[in-house]
Amino acid sequence: MSSTEQGTSSAAPAEPTTAPESAAAPEVPESFYYVHGKDKVVHKVSAGALQHSALIHGMISNLGYTEEQAKANPFPFENIDGDILQMVVDWCNQHKGKPTPPEDTNLPKQKEKLFDLVLAVNYLEIKELLTYCCKQVAMMVKGKSPEEIREIWMIPTDAEDEAAEKEAKKRAGKEAAGETAAAAGDAK
Amino acid sequence: MKLSKYPYLVQKEILDDMKNADLFWLSFVSKNMKTLIKSSQVKRFQSISRIMYHSSFGDKRIVSIPFKTKNRKGTEDILELEGIMGIFGDCKASEDDCFQLNVSGKIIDFRLSNQYTFPEACFHPNDKESAIESIHNYFLNFFGNTMEYIWRAKHPEDIIPHLSNLSLWISIWPNLSQVIDLKNLEKFFASTPVLKNITMKLDKSEPFSPESKFYQAETISIFHQRSKSVHALLRHFQGRQATLFYCEVDMLELIEFLNRWRSGEALQKLEYLKIILRRDGPWHWQPHEILNANWVKHIESTKKPPIHSVANLYTPGPDYKPNTNPITSHTYVVRKTDNRVASISVQEGDFVFGVWKETEKEFLRMVE
Repeated sequence: MSSTEQGTSSAAPAEPTTAPESAAAPEVPESFYYVHGKDKVVHKVSAGALQHSALIHGMISNLGYTEEQAKANPFPFENIDGDILQMVVDWCNQHKGKPTPPEDTNLPKQKEKLFDLVLAVNYLEIKELLTYCCKQVAMMVKGKSPEEIREIWMIPTDAEDEAAEKEAKKRAGKEAAGETAAAAGDAK
Repeated sequence: MKLSKYPYLVQKEILDDMKNADLFWLSFVSKNMKTLIKSSQVKRFQSISRIMYHSSFGDKRIVSIPFKTKNRKGTEDILELEGIMGIFGDCKASEDDCFQLNVSGKIIDFRLSNQYTFPEACFHPNDKESAIESIHNYFLNFFGNTMEYIWRAKHPEDIIPHLSNLSLWISIWPNLSQVIDLKNLEKFFASTPVLKNITMKLDKSEPFSPESKFYQAETISIFHQRSKSVHALLRHFQGRQATLFYCEVDMLELIEFLNRWRSGEALQKLEYLKIILRRDGPWHWQPHEILNANWVKHIESTKKPPIHSVANLYTPGPDYKPNTNPITSHTYVVRKTDNRVASISVQEGDFVFGVWKETEKEFLRMVE
């Protein structure tokens, strides 16, 4: 922009003489959203932090909620335990607007918590956190014998798989028979 | 934690994060798991170029996958081995550290190792052959057959399994006082399947007989050969690549070799030959004199010759130094029977010979 344009613009407010040469752009107030899990505890999270979740980001991107509307309409994630959602929210806040490091050592060490975290993170589509979690799950079986791996990941034996398959077939057969009978009843 | 509760893409990502060795042991957990690993890791397994049965100590072996990585500073490519399992044969497994697995239909004992990060197979010496066969079949079934499987032997006494998709590398490195029993070695070579590579130090021995399977190896690397042995090798070699380190060789022998190649009577499969001459020999000739023969052809010195290089068949890892050292030479010879060209380079006492797929006409078209 030339100095003439700047100087002759009648609409422009007079600049204070003490203004720094490159004034920072005025900050846009950060918008917040609210989420809750199975325990109904509501967490207030900034839109910046929620950007990590492709699912929530897609939901809020075109809502244009006011603060009040957002507060009145928290996103319910009934399939996620409260403590797991708290972990996810904490992670999103910690990594808001920051490049994600190659490793994350703050993931839960207890396997059941990690298992639930993986399911939640996959559902919420938080790619980087899912990557860390999967690496951690993979590390659990490093250097273990097949039986140890079976125990850790609760992998069924061949016999159990076969029994489950038989059971599923039986169930499917029964359901099909039920549907046929119902259809015949309707026809009568 | 029930892995099967995860959606397929999450299961795949977890498997993607695992090392080959861990996937291998996981595959024994159930048939469904093996199928999941095989179907989700097709690309990874196809990118494995070699599985090695390394000779460890005595009859003990370590199965490993070589891979290229960077040194600690990140400045240079280095080759490392990912150990998958040990095949330790005659060992006893105590109840505490032992587990049994069905390996391609054979029940084999394994034990967790104090020395290595992977389990070791234990079996009675009488079961050795069938156990190794089962293990090899399991590898073929699990990783597939797109990669090379190499059995590495160090001694004529080593067991050499005759199995499908298994090539043999022999490395014999006797100590200074040891005299190689040629007859024993000949017998050993004769008993082997396809010989992929022989690497040997042959200080004191006489040449192998012309009928020896030694000359049929696809690649040969020989150290300290005496003149007689070099002569025999140049005469009888039927393989594709040979490197002779610190050898005694006469100019007449080299001329005879070149003439035999030119005639097309022998050495038809040869792609690459490098001879590093002994620097301390009482040489009365300079290797570059060979280029004065009237049948050696020359490209004008102002022109740029094409660079010869072929896939290195004896590279420790196919991704690591995959090609032979390039030959840039203005001198070449032509084979009479099919007009194919071989570049010859003589520099600092090294004689290097690289055969082109191109005829002389095609070769000269590549000259710039």
